[in-house]
Amino acid sequence: MATPDFSEPEELTARERRALESLIKRLADDEFVLAERYTEWQVRAPTLESDLALANNAQDELGHARLWYDVLGDLGYTERELVYERDPAEFRHSTLVELPFEDGDWADAVLRSYLYDVAEELRLEALEDSSSPTIANRVAKIQQEEGYHREHAQNWVERLAEGESNGGEGHKRLQAALDRLFPHALTLFESCAPPRGANDANDASGDKPRAAGSDVEADIVDLGLRTATLEELGEEWLAIVVPYLESLGLDVPESGQTGDGEFEFEVTQEMLPDERGRDGTHTDAWADLYDDFTHTYRELGRSEPTKIMEIPE
Amino acid sequence: MSSNSPEPTETDATPCAYTEYQSADGDVAAELPATGANATGLESEVWDALYEIEDPEMPISIVDLGLIYGVSVAAGVATVDMTLTYSGCPAREMLTEEVEETAAAVEGVDDADLRLVWNPPWTVDLVTEQGKEDLREFGLSI
Repeated sequence: MATPDFSEPEELTARERRALESLIKRLADDEFVLAERYTEWQVRAPTLESDLALANNAQDELGHARLWYDVLGDLGYTERELVYERDPAEFRHSTLVELPFEDGDWADAVLRSYLYDVAEELRLEALEDSSSPTIANRVAKIQQEEGYHREHAQNWVERLAEGESNGGEGHKRLQAALDRLFPHALTLFESCAPPRGANDANDASGDKPRAAGSDVEADIVDLGLRTATLEELGEEWLAIVVPYLESLGLDVPESGQTGDGEFEFEVTQEMLPDERGRDGTHTDAWADLYDDFTHTYRELGRSEPTKIMEIPE
Repeated sequence: MSSNSPEPTETDATPCAYTEYQSADGDVAAELPATGANATGLESEVWDALYEIEDPEMPISIVDLGLIYGVSVAAGVATVDMTLTYSGCPAREMLTEEVEETAAAVEGVDDADLRLVWNPPWTVDLVTEQGKEDLREFGLSI
C-alpha cells in the first residue's frame, strides 16, 4: 500500500477521510469538553493560585481543541458546524471529561486532570510522526503547553493524598474520586464510532451507537495517522498511573495488572461504565452541558461563533 | 543569460512563481526569527507594513515579537506565515485579520493569504534584540 498523502486533503479516499475525522474528534472533543468542565471552577477553586491555574489550563485546552478542529477545516468543516451546531450524539469525547463535578470536590478535579493528562502526553507522543503533516506540525506547540498541566495535577494529588487534616479527608476524597472516575478514564482508550453517514462496506457506521468502530481505529494506525494502538497507549498509561496512585496509598480499581507487575490492557465490559463517549453513547450530564454551552449561541441566533455582534443595519 | 555567466544555480524561471502551494504548516522554519531584513521589492514593503502592527497587550511590533515566520508575494498575492505565542490566544481573530488586511493594503498587493503555522512553536527566543529592548522598557524582564 502506498503511503497515504494527508497533505492533500482534497484527494483523500473515503477511508482516509473517515480515519482522519475520527482521530481528530477523539482529540478535539476531549479537549473542548474538559475545558468546559474546568471553567466551572472559576472563582470557586480552593486558592487564588489554583483558580488561575485551572482557568489557564482550560484556556489551553480550548486552544488545543481549536488547533485540532482546524485540521478538519481542511476537510471543509467550520468551527460552527463542529462545535455549536453538531448533534451532541456526534461528539466522540471520553465520558471522563463530561462528568459533572460535585460541588467543591477539588479532589475530583485534580485527579481527573492527572488521569487525563498522562493519557494526553502518551497520545501526543504517538502523533509526533503522524503521516498527516498538519497533525505532526501541531504536536510540539501542544506539548509545550501541556507539561504544566500534569505537574499541576500531580502537585495537588500528592498534597491531598498526604494531608492529614480532617482525619485524612483529602485522601478519602481522592479515593472516592478514583473509584468513580477510573472506569470512565478507561474509556479514553475505547474505540471510536465513525461519523454518521460514513457508512461503507464494512458496516462501521456511527448511525447506531456502539457500531463496530474497530475498523476505523485500525485504519488510524494502518494509515500512520497515529503510531500506537489504543491498547498500547492504554498499557503505557496503566504502567504509569497505577504504580503512582498506589504509591500514594490509593486503591486502584481493577486495572489489568498481571502477577509479575506488567500491565495488559484487557478491558472487560464489567470494568467499563455503561456510557463510553467514544462510541456515541453519553451520560445525561453531557446533554445538560451541551445545552449550556450552546445556549447563548442559540439564544442570540448566531451564525458566527467568533463575531460578538452583527454589524448594525 | 550570456554564455560566460557562472554556473546556473536556478532552474528555469516560470512566469508565475505562485504555482507551488504548500499545505499550511509547511516547511517555513528556515531562519527564525524572520524580520524581512533581506527582503526586496513588494515583499519588503509588506514586511514594513507588518512592522507597524503591535501586539494587543504590549508595545512591541509583532515582527519583533517573532510572530511572522515568512512573507512572499507572487502574482499580486501576499502569503504570510504567522504563528501565535499561545494556542489559546484570545486575540487570534483580531490579529490574523489585521495582518491579512494590512498585507493586502500594500500598494501593488491585490490579496493576502495568511497561513497560521505552529511549527516550530513560538518561544521567547524568537523575540528580536529590538523586541527585547521594547519589552524591557515596558517593564518585562527578558
